[in-house]
Amino acid sequence: MKSKGIWSLNFSTIVIALIPIAVAINYLGKVIIETLKLPLWLDSIGTVISSMLAGPLIGAFTGLINNIIYGFTLSPISFVYAITSVVIGLGVGVMAHKGWIASISKAIVIGLVVGLLAAIVSTPLNIMFWEGTTGNVWGDAFYLYLESIGMPQWVASFGDSVVVDVPDKVITVVIGYLIYQSLPKNLIRLFNNNNEIEKL
Amino acid sequence: MEPIHSYTDKKSYIDQIDPISKLLFAFVSIFITYLFSSIPITCFVLLISIVLLMVGRVLRKIVPLLAISFTLLLSIIIVQGLTHPTNEMPLLTLGTIVFYQEGLTFALLITLRVFNMLAAFGVLILTTKPDDLMESLMKQGMSPKISYVFLSVFQLIPQMRATLGKITDAQRSRGMETEGSLMIRIKAFFPLLGPAVLSSLNMTKERAIALEVRGFSSKGKKTFISEEKSYFYPKFVRCGLIILLIAAIVWRIVG
Amino acid sequence: MSKIRVEGLKYRYPDMDSLVLDDLSFEVEKGAFIGIVGENTAGKSTLCYALTGLVPHFFKGAYGGNVLIDNIDVKQSEISDVTSKAGLVFDQPFSQMTGSKTTVYEEIAFGLENSGVEREEMRIRIDNSLRLMDIEHLQNKNPYDLSGGQMQRVAIASVLAMKPDVIVLDEPTSQLDPQGSDEVFQVIAKLAESGITIIMAEHKLEKLAEYASKILLLHKGKQIAYGSPKEVFSRDDILEYGIAPPVYVRIAKALKLKNKAGFYPITLDGLKQQWNVGDE
Repeated sequence: MKSKGIWSLNFSTIVIALIPIAVAINYLGKVIIETLKLPLWLDSIGTVISSMLAGPLIGAFTGLINNIIYGFTLSPISFVYAITSVVIGLGVGVMAHKGWIASISKAIVIGLVVGLLAAIVSTPLNIMFWEGTTGNVWGDAFYLYLESIGMPQWVASFGDSVVVDVPDKVITVVIGYLIYQSLPKNLIRLFNNNNEIEKL
Repeated sequence: MEPIHSYTDKKSYIDQIDPISKLLFAFVSIFITYLFSSIPITCFVLLISIVLLMVGRVLRKIVPLLAISFTLLLSIIIVQGLTHPTNEMPLLTLGTIVFYQEGLTFALLITLRVFNMLAAFGVLILTTKPDDLMESLMKQGMSPKISYVFLSVFQLIPQMRATLGKITDAQRSRGMETEGSLMIRIKAFFPLLGPAVLSSLNMTKERAIALEVRGFSSKGKKTFISEEKSYFYPKFVRCGLIILLIAAIVWRIVG
Repeated sequence: MSKIRVEGLKYRYPDMDSLVLDDLSFEVEKGAFIGIVGENTAGKSTLCYALTGLVPHFFKGAYGGNVLIDNIDVKQSEISDVTSKAGLVFDQPFSQMTGSKTTVYEEIAFGLENSGVEREEMRIRIDNSLRLMDIEHLQNKNPYDLSGGQMQRVAIASVLAMKPDVIVLDEPTSQLDPQGSDEVFQVIAKLAESGITIIMAEHKLEKLAEYASKILLLHKGKQIAYGSPKEVFSRDDILEYGIAPPVYVRIAKALKLKNKAGFYPITLDGLKQQWNVGDE
């Protein structure tokens, strides 16, 4: 039973073809960042593009598969952050389908929102598994600072995540938006669930 | 082209345990280390994972995995040693910086838990061929479409790396710099990312057509070209693990 | 009874204004080899999609008329039922590899697994396909380690193993180097001999002239001509439709070498023959 609209979860062939490519794009982002030694994660560009093309549920699913595969090939630590990836896919997908990502400045705002969401979801995970740090040098330095001025652990952990996730997601969403804008229409059209076969 | 999964065929006893049992083992093992805040128990569970890795003859391969988590673990040790809420007794003093015993002990616990996470999943990852894991999951009811997604990512990523390599060479020969100041490196990002991403997205439509042509949307029962693998009493092993899990939970509640 | 009947086929992609296929009607006999020619915007690829069910089921859009394969109406059928009757091979070798299989043997099995073919039967079909496509020596290699021509032959083998009644090829050699191109045309010749119905969209008209029993000329979605290669390529107005006829035709035209029926020769042998006839 196909469902229509923003919450459609339609594993059609075009969606199945997209997901591995989106995961590989996430990986490419990571590789390029590591080669150029820039201080960001930038490993969700594919998830973001997938949400823009196919909606929030497919975007969420892409994020989930992404972390499961990273867990199997790079490090099992990625399994823990699967929830964060799912939230990123959901967040971008919902806002894209409501038409809110319509310009670079709007994309920046969406990136801020998604970054905050990611930080909110990651904080309990970080606290539960390793007492609140993220493994990012700048973020953890900020954690130390917050603790030293007497902030409770959850504030320090949240601050750690925000400092890392918000800039990262802003840049990710903007890049995702720019790439989406340059995709050929005949590709974007294939993801439109509302297309029916008309009679001529 | 080398695929990116870490499986090698060592023909050990561990290979004969079915993938779902290994998956279950990883979850049970990790769960137990987080159920008890006890260093001895965590050490014991970690030891089991290490023994399994040795039997599987893949112990050496776990070392690169540990290396990847190095920065995470180092920051945990430093941060918790300095600032853990229960810090009271100083252990190590470097000038004005004081590392406390409680925090460092806690950091040790977390480090052991993370090592166990890596080792326990390592048992699954290093001794299971991805195709076999997918086959076991499909027997439990997972859709073949999801199996396709997984298996194709494993091959797609090395392909993309190769394409990225070609794009990097082409751009470098056009004068793009990839080393130097922050600004230079930022400028290099887009001419690398753009073509790589666009070329791979353009492949989506054609890949989907190729899949349709091979009956991907067909609704009938699927068959398999490879023979079904047989494993060492899978039901027995899985039940054993679940019983272990329940026993641990009971012990935690009672003890 | 024709294998394929196209009746008044019209098609427009979603969100587009103009028809890409405009009232096409033709029939294809079993075992025939039909060439589709025309310039790039003529609608050749879209027609290939229509003959294999991708239009309308994959692309959606606005569809009129009928395409009947063995009397089964494409628009009323499930897409997987159509693709098992009419297989498609297109120009990108790399994209046609599924990516989920690590050997050529398993790659060819993919379509058979989806169709629920029993293992014994799968093995027989895969071996036959490997042999017909001259790729038996590659069966244990990873599909991604192959050359373009080899990948394309694997793609054809994969479609063939599903035992379709018709095989549609959309410019299968346009992305290949000359050697790969030759390899593919050689196996297409073998296919032609095997009796399967073949439809091929091509720019390399000399090749089509060698194998095709009929040529369909398209221009801007309309059907301009459907006849024997000699008839179609000898047309005086052919350049208006954006294609250059086979080189032998051009030579014969320059030398004014028409045969008795008013057609130019389309192959080298035909040209030699005409030349000798003209000498007398």
